[in-house]
Amino acid sequence: MTPPAVRFEGVSKRFPGVVALSDVTLDIARGSCHALCGENGAGKSTLGKMLAGIHAPDTGRMFVNGAEVRFTSPRDALAAGVGMVHQELSLCENMSVAENLCLSDIPRRGGFVAGEAMEQRAREMLALIGADLDVSQRVGELPIARRQIVQIAAAVGSGARVLVFDEPTSSLSQADAERLYELIARLRGDGVTCIYVSHRMPEVFHLCDTITVLRDGAVVGTKSAAELDESAVVQMMIGRALGVNAVREGVRGGEERLRVEGLTAPGKFEDVSFSLHAGEIVGLAGLVGAGRSEIAAALFGLDRHSQGHIYIDGKDVDIRTPAHAIRLGLGLVPEDRKRQALVPLETSVRNASLAVLTRLTRLTWVRRRAERTMVDEYFRRLRVKPAAAAAPIASLSGGTQQKVVLARWLAAQSRVLILDEPTRGVDVGAKAEIHALIAEVAASGTAVLLISSELPELLALSMRIFTVRGGRIVGRLERSEASEESLLRQMAGIA
Amino acid sequence: MRDYARRLAGSQETGLVAVLFAATMALTLLAGSHLDRASGISINNFWNSHTLVQTATDASFFAIMAIGATMVIIAGGIDLSVGSIYALSGVGMALALRGTAPASGGAALATGLTTALGIGLLCGFLNGVLVVGLRVHPFIITLGTMWILRGIAFVATKAESILVPASLTSITKASLGLGGGLFPVPMLAMLALALIGTIYLARTVMGRHIFAFGGNPEASRYAGLSPARIQIGVFVVSGLTAGLAAFLGASFYGSASSGDAQGYELYVIASAVVGGASLTGGKGSALGATLGALLIVLIRQSIRTLHFDQNYEWIVIGCAIIIAVVVDRWTMSMTQRRFNFGTGRSA
Repeated sequence: MTPPAVRFEGVSKRFPGVVALSDVTLDIARGSCHALCGENGAGKSTLGKMLAGIHAPDTGRMFVNGAEVRFTSPRDALAAGVGMVHQELSLCENMSVAENLCLSDIPRRGGFVAGEAMEQRAREMLALIGADLDVSQRVGELPIARRQIVQIAAAVGSGARVLVFDEPTSSLSQADAERLYELIARLRGDGVTCIYVSHRMPEVFHLCDTITVLRDGAVVGTKSAAELDESAVVQMMIGRALGVNAVREGVRGGEERLRVEGLTAPGKFEDVSFSLHAGEIVGLAGLVGAGRSEIAAALFGLDRHSQGHIYIDGKDVDIRTPAHAIRLGLGLVPEDRKRQALVPLETSVRNASLAVLTRLTRLTWVRRRAERTMVDEYFRRLRVKPAAAAAPIASLSGGTQQKVVLARWLAAQSRVLILDEPTRGVDVGAKAEIHALIAEVAASGTAVLLISSELPELLALSMRIFTVRGGRIVGRLERSEASEESLLRQMAGIA
Repeated sequence: MRDYARRLAGSQETGLVAVLFAATMALTLLAGSHLDRASGISINNFWNSHTLVQTATDASFFAIMAIGATMVIIAGGIDLSVGSIYALSGVGMALALRGTAPASGGAALATGLTTALGIGLLCGFLNGVLVVGLRVHPFIITLGTMWILRGIAFVATKAESILVPASLTSITKASLGLGGGLFPVPMLAMLALALIGTIYLARTVMGRHIFAFGGNPEASRYAGLSPARIQIGVFVVSGLTAGLAAFLGASFYGSASSGDAQGYELYVIASAVVGGASLTGGKGSALGATLGALLIVLIRQSIRTLHFDQNYEWIVIGCAIIIAVVVDRWTMSMTQRRFNFGTGRSA
């Protein structure tokens, strides 16, 4: 019998204060596509990173193709045939595709970089996975989906026969994700073993033949995909059954809060018009890059070059800075939490109060007690654990971070709330809580604009859904007419 | 209360105070003593009021600047022009005093302080406006103004040293009842400013905005903060502290020249960094900068007191800066570890 491609034997890993993995024993069969599922913090990424040489296990052993391995760096792992496609992409953005692909061993001639040879080799590496990119382009200019392809090509091209995918579709559009699925199928056809870390159920069932669920650092179970269905996996992940989370509680017919007429930002979107009423959740669907986030940015005063009319409570306003937008009652939960929303070294409390500090002052002094009272109130509503309040926000889970960002805008008493991918990188439990909260906020009279790549989320929460494609609103569906299929068709432009 | 004690124990400043204390003790023990000829009492070569006040006075001029420069660093920038602002403020003030020839000490104080602070403020404002308006990194802008401002001072004075009226010197060199040739005014100004700076950073909206902006400028913008106001603000504060230091320095020493405070920008940045400021922004403290300045001066003093070859001064200071930062990062990761244990969960 051939040994499994990968074997973990009693592997444990502690991070400061947290047991990330405890006594994990797991076989990954050669040529399989094996899913690692679990909530954020369950240890699935840690297990993948261990195999890729990023973390070393504290105790326990790892085997690749039957031989015990001890990796001290990703380079070791690659030498043993294990590569990883990272959640946060790890490429040199300032360098070309070819340079990135050949980074570990740049071809040289007499001490100088041999440009031709390098590009040739890069093209060969890309051809190996059936991809075709301009190898002289800077990686920083590529969309995320293409960068991922570069990562895969780099791993496979340097001989990886086991590939770890860490939530590879978390920032991809549906169409790009589909292309990634095809690529993974192709890799499997070539005999590459894939380990797929994800908590997105549909893709796990679409791609994987075996599923291992982790919870709190321990294996809950490993089963063949055929024996399971989505709700069974979710139940294993959270340790309880999860009710259907359609939570449309908002009321229609409130007064108009926001009206947009002919909003245009050259090269980003054109002639966007819609309105948003108190108590209403309106969905904005579209592929990544269709212009959804750009519209949100323009509404929030982040785009100086946009033209057209924005009316807030019936008044024509010219929003030129976020500060102005906030004064008018707008709030924005941005797409990229880490980059656009969080101050990593600061505590949750300080992150939550950031937008309203000026309202918490006597002369110029911050009234710290008032600040704490206010933030605690919203943390209670959002079920943020009290211990998290004084912790640096970077040390908290994605779900908690997102709740803190939401608390920021609730504290600002935003009357129009724009949510851009509010549940990205958030675990299942927190996701349901955030959904319920969005519905609650709308029910209390806030107008909500919900931008999301997750169609079930849009369908569960929105009363109306607009679809953006190529910078234009191409569809307007009432909740009763909308379905995943109808939205996908509009998003992709299929009649 | 226990929480407070733990925070105190884990804070950077506590560590610096401990290091300062240990260095002072060691220096006192090693310094030896001499007989005072007048009284016939044995006096420690370091632990005597004269040397201690002198050391603190040496530190005060760039400690005051370091408090302002720390704010620029916390906001993610850097100010290389503080030494030049010092020189320009100093000669500007000396020229103004020579021109107006104020009759009384009070008038001299008012004129001197206003011109020195005014020039500091203008220079800081210039830095801030250039950084914001031209969208060029503060390193480049202040590298430029570092030369420009000193050049203006040079041209304005024709490279001469300008005397400051004795009436003003008598104020800055007031003994405040201490006697025995001790002049505590600069030292007291440093301590007062450290206190004001600490409170400003911790308790005012602007202070909080500085930390947020340095920690993540993009997120701060999304939260409605004004990047321009914050950046110009910190440079103005930095310019003001340089102006204040120049006022104290020029009036204390009785003259000002365009060559004053040459190389101070590096002492200032070193003080801020030893005091716990991070050049990537979002971290630092006014008290830390003051303690950092004291530590650097103490190292310099110890070389003199222990009669080491003075040529080694720079080598020792250089090593001290690197060690301080490495130790700081090490203790940070230690407290981080303890912290995570408390909350139980990480990303």
